[in-house]
Amino acid sequence: MMMQRTQLLLPLAMEATMLAQQQRGMATLKMISIRLKSVKNIQKITQSMKMVSAAKYARAERDLKAARPYGIGAQQFFEKTEIQADEKAEPKKLLIAVTSDRGLCGAVHTGVARLIRGELAQDEANTKVFCVGDKSRAILSRLYGKNILMVANEVGRLPPTFLDASKIANEVLQTGYDYTEGKIVYNRFKSVVSYQCSTLPIFSGSTVEKSEKLAVYDSLDSDVVKSYLEFSLASLIFYTMKEGACSEQSSRMTAMDNASKNAGEMIDKLTLTFNRTRQAVITRELIEIISGAAALT
Amino acid sequence: MKAWRDLGINYIQYSNIAARVVREALRIELRADAAKRNISIVKFTPWVNGKPVPRKKVERDSES
Repeated sequence: MMMQRTQLLLPLAMEATMLAQQQRGMATLKMISIRLKSVKNIQKITQSMKMVSAAKYARAERDLKAARPYGIGAQQFFEKTEIQADEKAEPKKLLIAVTSDRGLCGAVHTGVARLIRGELAQDEANTKVFCVGDKSRAILSRLYGKNILMVANEVGRLPPTFLDASKIANEVLQTGYDYTEGKIVYNRFKSVVSYQCSTLPIFSGSTVEKSEKLAVYDSLDSDVVKSYLEFSLASLIFYTMKEGACSEQSSRMTAMDNASKNAGEMIDKLTLTFNRTRQAVITRELIEIISGAAALT
Repeated sequence: MKAWRDLGINYIQYSNIAARVVREALRIELRADAAKRNISIVKFTPWVNGKPVPRKKVERDSES
């Protein structure tokens, strides 16, 4: 409306002011409104992503509570037997990075990758990495591509199941890489707003059988130990995947909440500039009309 | 008990087969829920010298 009227009245003057505006580096009304619209759309998207991850988080936390005994039980065995890696033998380490395929969730995956990078910096030659989830692979492949043993993807779209974990454990056992000690690197879920990147130790069968304290358990033959270690690896991976999934969803929730807040701030600022610019345009037009009329009389 | 190990199956596979059979033996109203736990879509790619190596098709068939 405004534009049309001015164009009828003062087409030349309008062009001149437009030019002047652009020369001064000030955004035009149209540019601001386009930007405002796009920021509003982004806010809508982040808000709905937050809602989705909130629902997923609620489910992940419920699942995690059910999965915790798996992890605690499996850890107890290693604590009770006080297994230590054989220091005389050449150490062969295996790191299992528990992440997922999906991003937009803060520093969840970066934290895991950073911890692994630290480990690799210490002993690059004797360490291999098993990446669960595309994100850890994406981060690690550039610098330490040679240390990656295997990548598991399609993780994180659905909540992890025990079958997923046992498939991964199966691959770990069948890679042909004879590790003496290993670590599962994952994000331990602490509360909605915090998680911590932690590690769980895993050991191979030969290391376990050398342990002196194994006698605390009665009537163990090597077959039972072997079967148990296989199962405990699957349980530990299952537990860490659940912890990781829960941390990821809670972190995504926070990240999306922050993004919506930032978008809100941007919208406020843009609305303010939009209104100011509109006011300025109106004022200038009035001045132009009045001075034009004054010049005629 | 060790018969399955002679077939080249480890305990994880053994217990998963057992779990699948149990799930399939559930009552119909419980089976639908349990069937969701029977799904796994994880894919694996071995890496050699910093490059992904696609697994041979023959190998994958024998695994599944």
